[in-house]
Amino acid sequence: MTSESLGTVDFPALLRRHGLLNEAALLSPSGGSGAAAGFTPTQATTILAFKFTGGVLVAGDRRATSGNTVIYDRADKVLEIDRHSIMAIAGVPATAWEMARVLEHSLQYFRRTQLQEMSVDGKVRALSKLLRDNFGFVMQGVGVVVPIFATYDFIGEGQPRLYFYDAMGAQFEVAEYAATGSGSPAVRGVLFYENRWGKKPLHKLREEDAVTVALRALDTAAESDTATGGVDRNARIFPLIKIISRDGIQTLPEKQIALRFKRTVA
Amino acid sequence: MTEEPYRWVEAIANRREYIETQLASGSPIAALSYRDGILFVTVGRARQKLFEIYDRIALGAIGHPGDIERLRMTAIELASTEGFTRSAADVSLRRLAFYSLSPVLKTAFEQVYGAPFLARMIFAEVGATPQDDLFLRVEYDGAITAHGPAADAQPPRFSAISGTTRATELMEQLLRRDHEPDCTLNRAMKVALDAWSAGSLPPTDEGDGKIPSKETLAQHRAKELESSTIEAVILERNAPSAIRYRTLGGEELKALVSA
Repeated sequence: MTSESLGTVDFPALLRRHGLLNEAALLSPSGGSGAAAGFTPTQATTILAFKFTGGVLVAGDRRATSGNTVIYDRADKVLEIDRHSIMAIAGVPATAWEMARVLEHSLQYFRRTQLQEMSVDGKVRALSKLLRDNFGFVMQGVGVVVPIFATYDFIGEGQPRLYFYDAMGAQFEVAEYAATGSGSPAVRGVLFYENRWGKKPLHKLREEDAVTVALRALDTAAESDTATGGVDRNARIFPLIKIISRDGIQTLPEKQIALRFKRTVA
Repeated sequence: MTEEPYRWVEAIANRREYIETQLASGSPIAALSYRDGILFVTVGRARQKLFEIYDRIALGAIGHPGDIERLRMTAIELASTEGFTRSAADVSLRRLAFYSLSPVLKTAFEQVYGAPFLARMIFAEVGATPQDDLFLRVEYDGAITAHGPAADAQPPRFSAISGTTRATELMEQLLRRDHEPDCTLNRAMKVALDAWSAGSLPPTDEGDGKIPSKETLAQHRAKELESSTIEAVILERNAPSAIRYRTLGGEELKALVSA
């Protein structure tokens, strides 16, 4: 019986007690060991998110690279954490996917044991803590993760909330848009331009125009950044796009994205 | 004392009697399959009695809140660590109840110098069809009554608990007579509420052990609901998300109950 655990609501702490959490990622006293020399980790690249009339749109290309080699062209970087939260990842997928799993289970564990949903601030902090616990891998150059976190806040009239993080776990809330990963400079350029000089600012876009902007931004990034997959026209591989609204998370069907791409991007 | 077998048996019998007395006033809980999932229903005052354990597993419990809480936490911990280290598909109610909870309950019950768990529980796990649904009634002494795929060829697709054996048997009689596993949620709610009413009616001298008439049940329920509320949760068979547990409340519950 686990009575000594009474009151434990921290899922990572529970995993640690059972020896189920990888401690290698914690920062060792020696700090950066340079162990990364000669080892190039797999990297997932460009993700973006912005608020529009229908909530918040989160999109990611599908490419994973290692150095200048394309490892995989169907990677899923836009991950559902709970009914209203998405973590999108840029960085090392081995670390990021594990982090997403821990986060997903942490939020569920909290809800199930405490019989209430964790607050938005609590969720944001939970991810921040996971990133900080991963700082050992960051210093060794083998496990950098820079995620975007998007969720819906039901307090008051309700509104979507959007955050991006740095590799140490600092969270930055944004009012309009966020992008991380190797293709993000180009994406930020496109989103800034659209928001400032486009037909409408991002937050006033309807869903189909928002999808167009997302596809164009990723395509722009792919044009100069080889690590960004953008849209693979030959293999017909499209970015993954999810939308968070009051009603939950909606994954746009590939057909819909393909059609939108054909009409407004290709 | 434990060196003297007779006194040990006597102590266990006393303890059983004590626990049964403690549980006797518990409000019944009915759990039953319907076409699109599993429905749990009870009626209570303030304290929540139906809980989410994991994606496809729910719990209904009567007894001491402290003991229920310890068992509930243990079940969630076990399911969550299993689901995290392996996968959600590896979380199994059968393993959870038979291999983890039952031995702990039995040990606590039989160690006469320690405190037993004052709790009686129904666990249910929703499957792909009503035929795959699993219901386990878990007692304070670790005994488990299983209704499910492995139990027998035509197992009942329901389970019920209440404060007394008499009331539970009455509920099961009613469920056996009225419940069809392929029914709608509306229909399942009606049958579940009837079962609750049958289980919570105080025993009468005449006709005891027989299912009371619909009117008697409805009358009793109406009176009880003046000071209590219905608590209902479902495990959805075909929900788009992995999490199948959902609390019924507000307008949705009102519509179901009055339909």
